[in-house]
Amino acid sequence: MNFADILASLIHDMKNSLGLVINTIDDLGEELQVHENPKLGTLQHEARRLNDNLIALLSLYKIDKGQLSTNIEEIDVEQFLYEISVDNQATANHLGITINYESEEGLVGYFDEWLMRGVINSLIGNGLRYSSSQILIHAASVDGYLVLSIDDDGDGFPQNMIDAQTAQQHKKPQQGETQLGHYFASLVAHMHSNGEREGYIKLANNQRLGGGCFSIWLP
Amino acid sequence: MFFKPGLLENRLYLVVDDFGDMRSMMKNMLMACGVREIQLARNGNEAIELMEQERFDVVLCDYNLGAGRDGQQVLEEAKYRHLMGLGSVFVMVTAENTRDMVMGAVEYEPDSYLTKPFNKDFLKTRLEKLIAKKHDLLAIEEAVEKRNYTKAVAILDEKIAAKPANCNELRKIKGNILLNSGKLNEAKTLYQEVLAIRELPWARLGLGKCNYLAQDFQQAIDEFQRIKSQNPNYTPAYDWLARSHKRANQLSEAEDILKEAVSISPKAVPRQQLLGEIALVNQHQDIAESAFTKAVQHGRHSVYKHPANYANLARVTADNHDGPSALQVLKQIDKDFSKDPKADFYQASAESLIHEAMGNSDLARASLEKAAELQKSFDQIEDSECAIELAKTYKNFGMEEECVELMKGAILNNHTDEELMDEIKLTISSLEMDEQTLGTIDSIREEVFALNRKGVELAKSGQLDEAAELLKETSTRMPANRTVNLNIALVLLMSMEREGPSPGMIDEIKGYLARVAKADPNNTTLQKLYGRLKTMLSKTSDSSEQSREKT
Repeated sequence: MNFADILASLIHDMKNSLGLVINTIDDLGEELQVHENPKLGTLQHEARRLNDNLIALLSLYKIDKGQLSTNIEEIDVEQFLYEISVDNQATANHLGITINYESEEGLVGYFDEWLMRGVINSLIGNGLRYSSSQILIHAASVDGYLVLSIDDDGDGFPQNMIDAQTAQQHKKPQQGETQLGHYFASLVAHMHSNGEREGYIKLANNQRLGGGCFSIWLP
Repeated sequence: MFFKPGLLENRLYLVVDDFGDMRSMMKNMLMACGVREIQLARNGNEAIELMEQERFDVVLCDYNLGAGRDGQQVLEEAKYRHLMGLGSVFVMVTAENTRDMVMGAVEYEPDSYLTKPFNKDFLKTRLEKLIAKKHDLLAIEEAVEKRNYTKAVAILDEKIAAKPANCNELRKIKGNILLNSGKLNEAKTLYQEVLAIRELPWARLGLGKCNYLAQDFQQAIDEFQRIKSQNPNYTPAYDWLARSHKRANQLSEAEDILKEAVSISPKAVPRQQLLGEIALVNQHQDIAESAFTKAVQHGRHSVYKHPANYANLARVTADNHDGPSALQVLKQIDKDFSKDPKADFYQASAESLIHEAMGNSDLARASLEKAAELQKSFDQIEDSECAIELAKTYKNFGMEEECVELMKGAILNNHTDEELMDEIKLTISSLEMDEQTLGTIDSIREEVFALNRKGVELAKSGQLDEAAELLKETSTRMPANRTVNLNIALVLLMSMEREGPSPGMIDEIKGYLARVAKADPNNTTLQKLYGRLKTMLSKTSDSSEQSREKT
């Protein structure tokens, strides 16, 4: 057994423990019957981030070994965003942040639900660190692409990150991108293709909520 | 969005997980959603036992259940044995590492996969959606269950016309119904419409199946190949590709595809079985041994468990290793099957050959006799498989005459079944028999076609009694032949429509139709004849009521 395989199998095990930790924290929140508790929020938030990162790590490992291919399904986008907002709401509440979602009615997307959920959860995890009171996840159909965006009302991305991306927007993702989360999102976006077109990511500031806006464009 | 209160609460839930912590956590989550009736199972066996006793509305089942059945096998058994009602929901809970594994399973799909960890809000949202969806599709499922495909399609068309978000999901269901009811052209049009908008594997698979069923194997191969190159993990495409190659008589291609498929998803029993069978014909004994070993091993807790796999494994073991190990394999049949005459038959059939090879002539003869006796007791209508198995064994004993007799019977009874005819041709060539000894398959088939044609011509010219006599006589030689049975029923119906009904004849018609229904319940001619019989019976009951009123 090589080191990478040992790592992968340990990650699975860690994920199981984390799953129990996350659910127990949720239970604790229920028992305490408080809606805003920053300490509980931090616990929950960090545990979820660990989990998101482990999912990203495992997926990257599989992509690296050529073992991960997308399972493209037809997704009811409104339901998808609703589930994600519900999933993250309790944690956000404890941190004093509200999560809203918006989608055109009847919007249908074609993507790997599990991978995209991992990506968006990890982006929301980022957003929770930088936003001051709100996060908005929204979806729209633009030029034949499904655009999934995560907006916050924080200070936005540093200008050099925004500048850096224009040059490489449609290129294959490069390792060494500023954040693991962005690298993962970019890889997953590129794994989604329709005919000749591939997916990509885009960073912007001052969009819907005045802060950063991370969007994933899927063909 | 669906926020109707009370959607989750008054329902019966089953949670299946081998970890105590996980079970109690799921139970807590459900209770926090307002659910009161929750039962817990620690493994697949407990789950099935509980499902035998009660109809659960929602089953939340972990994929990994330790030793014994896994979640997919629980699902397969529950669906196969109708242990769940039509409106009930099955959710497969997985850790992310099982995701690829479960993607390989397709004959029975859960209503949803749920990846751990998830919180109660998420669970609640998902369950609400699933229950609402099931409720929405209930009328369709009920119509399908009653084989009222026209009605099912009509309901679907109405829903599709409203262009809902799940439009393609409805189209997918419709495509399956059209395929199952033999409406290939309509199915083809539907799949092409979907594919014109977007390349989706299920639609491409459906299109390939249309070609396969229309016997256009080369076109089918092209479609399945296209899915495989675009979605290397979509194993159903591999299975259909292999089947198409097999029908196109490209056996080494079929074997290669299946070898790829089992390396992606090794647990599918029918896939391993097919690989084993094809490897045997290709004389790749090692591949066959490995495939049958896995078919037996993974089949043990599965509805796909089949004694033929044990018999084949035993014969391959005898070839590759030695007699005593082969007999050991057959002993396993006693453990894994209880009081199953088919299992006993396969055991005896394989045993006879192995004993013969080991020089135990007396034991070999005794087993062969047992196998022959059991085969005679089986219903010919359901069973051509055992006839062919026994024919092979006879041939290996050098009993040509008995072998030919059985093969001929299988052809006579199933002359329109192209797949079976191919199977018989394969068997003949693998036994190095001369097709001429049978009088050629085609000439036997032609004889049956001719008799049926003559019967129908007689009926058309109004000689109904003569037609019935000819066809009934034919039927004594080939009691399971569908065309003959359907034609007899038709002729009898025509004569009742002409002369008026008689209770004896009605029973007779029902008997012939039942023979067909047993083997091929979706047969379109069968459904038409049932309809015609029903119409006639309702007319006559109306008229008899009228005549009663008059008196």
